Formats: sequence, structure tokens, C-alpha cells
Amino acid sequence: MDLIKAIKLSTAGMRVQGTRLRVISENVANADSLPEGPGDLPYRRKQVSFKNILDRSLDAKRVVVDKIQYDKGDFDKKFDPQHPAADKDGYVLTPNVNSLVEMMDMREAQRSYEANLSIIQVSKGMLNRTIDMLRN
Amino acid sequence: MDLTNLKLFAMTAKRMDWLSKRQVVLSHNIANSDTGKYQPRDLKPLGFRDLLQRRTEQRGLQKTDAMHINATRVPEKYRPDSKKDAYETAPSGNAVIIEEQLSKISETQADHRLATNIYTKHVGMLKTALGRPPR
Repeated sequence: MDLIKAIKLSTAGMRVQGTRLRVISENVANADSLPEGPGDLPYRRKQVSFKNILDRSLDAKRVVVDKIQYDKGDFDKKFDPQHPAADKDGYVLTPNVNSLVEMMDMREAQRSYEANLSIIQVSKGMLNRTIDMLRN
Repeated sequence: MDLTNLKLFAMTAKRMDWLSKRQVVLSHNIANSDTGKYQPRDLKPLGFRDLLQRRTEQRGLQKTDAMHINATRVPEKYRPDSKKDAYETAPSGNAVIIEEQLSKISETQADHRLATNIYTKHVGMLKTALGRPPR
């Protein structure tokens, strides 16, 4: 049944967006996770990427989470000589998390999730109309 | 009585089949709206000629023994194709525009509604011919 297949593909899309949202919340929650001592590194931002795999039970390609990788961007620095992790010049490394970027990412995930949800609604409506043909 | 012997029923059935196949392709596009390097796909439009054509019998190798495996290949009826002239491509190589896909989805939905209504009306006409009041 093709319409049910469409619903399942959209569900896969919603699942990967859910994982993405989890990674984003991890990043935001750790936006202030500073290193423990001098020479240690602070929290490194994570990024999620997607790929397609062939689902044999569906006979279609389904989207899944490919990898959750670390962002290779440079850490920021903050002048705080009192901090236990401060280097000899008084600077502390801070995570490479930009909360504005995370918010944008979150909105994008939300929109994609909604788009998938509306596909499910439309497919369900089409399926219902087909079943309603039995009524008369 | 097989309703698909009537041309109009066969046509609406084919149309609905095509529409639900298209729904699969479009939902795949939406699910991949954030996958890098993904190009959206769509089904080739179903023309009037395709609707009228009867499905031709597939001919394969002749079987001379019951143990022979069936070598007839069933071809894909509708083939999805990638669009060459993508509207916009993101830096990640993804060319899915959610608005474009959703408008296609609503188009599919409207066409599906049209097909089911034609089917229902035609059944009503048959019922009139049979002498029962149409609904």
C-alpha cells in the first residue's frame, strides 16, 4: 500500500529530526561547560548528519541518522584569571557553541518536523477518502 | 461484473495508483529536507495517453519445465526522475524546497479527491441505470 509507505517514510523523517533536536539541546545545555583544569578542553559542539538506507520491508529508501560528529571549529576564549582552568595569561577556553546558530538549527528542525507531519495528515486523508468509496 | 472493464473506472484506478506513488516520492523528499547532497525527485506526469493504454503483457523466457524459475521482469510502472533545474540548492547540496514539495502534495491531494469523486459519481450513474435512486 503506497500511502502507508508514504506515512512510514515521513515517520522516519520525523525520527531523524527528533534526534537532531536532542543533539541541539545537548549543545545548548553545554554552552557553558568550561574545562576542569588548565590544558583541558571545554565542551565541543556536536553536529548530526543524515543518510538514506534501503528498507527492504518497505522497498524504499528511508532516511536515518548517519553520524553525530564533533564541530571542528575553534574554541572561544574568555579572560577570567580566577578560574581554575585559566592559562598563564588568564584566559579560559569556552565551548564553540553559538546559541544563535543552535536556535536557527532548532527552528529548521521544527519546520521540517511539521512538514513531515502534514504529509502524514494528507496521506491519511487520501487513504480515508479511498476507504469512503466503499460507503456508497 | 468487473468494474475495471469500464474505461472510466480503469482510468480513475490508474490515476489513484499514480497519485499514491507520487505521494511516496514526495514524502521521501520531505523526509530528506535536511540530508546533504539530496536532490528532490518527482514522478513523470501521467498523460491522457498513459491512462488509455492497456497494460501490455510482459513476455519473458519460455518455461518448458515446472522447475524453471520465472524470468519475467516486472518493470517499474512509474519512474521517478530527478529534476535538473532545481529551484534553489543549499550550501550542503540539498535542493529540497519545503514549500514547493508541500504545494505538490496539496496538488496530489486535490487530484486524488477529484478521482474519488469521479468514481463515486460514476457508481451513482450505474445505480441510476440499475433502477435504484442515486445517492
